[in-house]
Amino acid sequence: MEMEMIKTVDLHKSFGSLHVLTGVSETIRKGEVVSIIGPSGGGKSTFLRCLNLLEKPEQGKIYFEGAEITGNLTKEEKHAIKAGTMPKPAKVNIDQHRQKMGMVFQHFNVFPHLSVCQNITLAPTMLKGKTEAEANEMAKELLSRVGLIDKLDEMPGKLSGGQKQRLAIVRALAMEPDVMLFDEPTSALDPEMVGEVLDVIKGLVNTGMTSVIVTHEMRFAREVSDRVLFMAEGNILEQNTPDQFFTNPTHPRLKDFLSKVL
Amino acid sequence: MNFATIGSNIVKLLSQYWKVFLIEGLSNTLLLTVIAVSLGALLGALVAILKMSRFKVIRFLISIYIEVIRGTPILLQLYIFVFALPSLLPFLNLSYFTWTAIALCINSSAYVSEVFRSGIQAVDKGQTEAARSLGLSAGQTMRKIILPQAIRNILPALGNEFIMILKETSLASTFFVGDLMTSYLTVKGATYLGFECLIIVGMIYLCVTFPLSKLVSWFEKKMANPNYKKHDHKRKRAVMEGGKV
Repeated sequence: MEMEMIKTVDLHKSFGSLHVLTGVSETIRKGEVVSIIGPSGGGKSTFLRCLNLLEKPEQGKIYFEGAEITGNLTKEEKHAIKAGTMPKPAKVNIDQHRQKMGMVFQHFNVFPHLSVCQNITLAPTMLKGKTEAEANEMAKELLSRVGLIDKLDEMPGKLSGGQKQRLAIVRALAMEPDVMLFDEPTSALDPEMVGEVLDVIKGLVNTGMTSVIVTHEMRFAREVSDRVLFMAEGNILEQNTPDQFFTNPTHPRLKDFLSKVL
Repeated sequence: MNFATIGSNIVKLLSQYWKVFLIEGLSNTLLLTVIAVSLGALLGALVAILKMSRFKVIRFLISIYIEVIRGTPILLQLYIFVFALPSLLPFLNLSYFTWTAIALCINSSAYVSEVFRSGIQAVDKGQTEAARSLGLSAGQTMRKIILPQAIRNILPALGNEFIMILKETSLASTFFVGDLMTSYLTVKGATYLGFECLIIVGMIYLCVTFPLSKLVSWFEKKMANPNYKKHDHKRKRAVMEGGKV
C-alpha cells in the first residue's frame, strides 16, 4: 500500500454559527495528485487551510506523515489522560510540520518588500540552515525552471499576476516540501495568465510531487489529477478518478454542479 | 493702527527679542516635542504590543488607557500632571517643564500606539499566512515580514504625530514652561504689542510645521510605491551600456 501523506479524521470547523466542515475524513497518499472542486462556500478552501492549520479545526485529527498535528483530543483520550492511563501528548510544533507543506494562495501573497530572489531564500536560510550562497543558487535554479530567471533582482511589485504566482510556487518549493497545497491558484489571475501558472503546476505534479489542488479549472483538474473530490455543504460528497468523476457523476449535487460549470 | 506700523513693529520686535522667540521659545518647543514623541513612541510601542496581547484583561486595561487619554482634552491632562500629581507625589521634586514633558509623552503614547497597531494591522493578512505556511514562527513573521511593511504605514503617521504634538506644546505655555507660546506671553508683557507678537510666533510655528508636513507627504508618496526606484538606476545603466538587465 502507498504511504499515507495526510490523513484527516472527522474534521469539524465552524466560523461563528456557520458550520463549514462537518466531519471530513480523507486520506492523501504519497505521490498522489488530488483536486477538490465544488461550489463556493462548500468548505474546499477551509479544508485545505486546515491541513496546515492556517485554520484550526475545533474537532477531529490530522495526521501528517504519521504525526498528529492538531493536538485535538477525543473524549476517550481526555478521559484516559485524566485517569492516567495515557500520557499527555507532547505539544505539536506546527512550524516544523509547515516547513514540509508548501502552500500557494489565491492572492499570491509574495513579500513585496523583498526582491524576487529574497522571497525565495528567506525561509530556507532562516529555517533550514542554508547558507546565503546555497540558497541563491537554489533560487536561480528554481526561477529558471519557471522562466523567471531574468527577474531575479526585481521587486515583486513589477511582476504580473502570473509571474507573482509562479514566484509564490517556487518560494514554497524552496523549502523542499513533501506536499504542495494549492488554494485556487488561478482564480485571481487575468485569463491570459492562467495558462502559464497551470503549466508550472502541471510540470510540478509530473515530477511526482504530492499535491492537493482546490480549483475551478475543471479541464485542468481532469487532466492532472489522480483523484477528484467534490466538496459541498462542508463535506466530501463524491470522489472518483477524473474520468469517472466527470463522465459518471452519481451524487445529485455533483450532477447539478457539473451541469452548470461544464 | 495700520499695516505699516504693524510691519515696522514686527521688525523692531524681531531685532530686539529674536533671542526670546528663537533661542528660548522655539528650542524649548522643539525639545518638548522631541522628548514627547520619542519617549511617547517607545511607550506607544509597548502599549501597542500589550493591546495585541492574547490576554483579555491586559487588552481591556490598555484600551481603557487609550480611551481615557484620547477622550480627554490635552489641556486637562496637563493640569493633572502639572498641578494634581505633584501635590499627590510631593517627594518627586520635578519642574513644570518636566511634568509637561511627561504629560505630553503619555498623551502621545496613546496616539502613537494606535499608529503602530493600525500600521501593523493594515499589512495584508495574506502576508502572515504566507510566512507561517513556510514554517516561520509568529515572532519571525513579525520581524521579517510584517514590521518591515508596517513601517511604511507607521513612519508618515509618526511624522504627522510630531507636527500635532509640536502645536500642542503651545498649551504648555499655560504653565510658563518657556516654550514658543510662552515667549509670546513674555514679549507681549514687556511691549504690549500683542498682535505683532502673535504674528511672529505664528510665523515661526509655520516655518517649522510647513516644511515638516511637506516632508511627511513626500515620504508618504515614496513609501506608497515600495522599492520601485531601488533598481531603476541599475536597469537604466545596464540598458545604456547595452548589457542585459
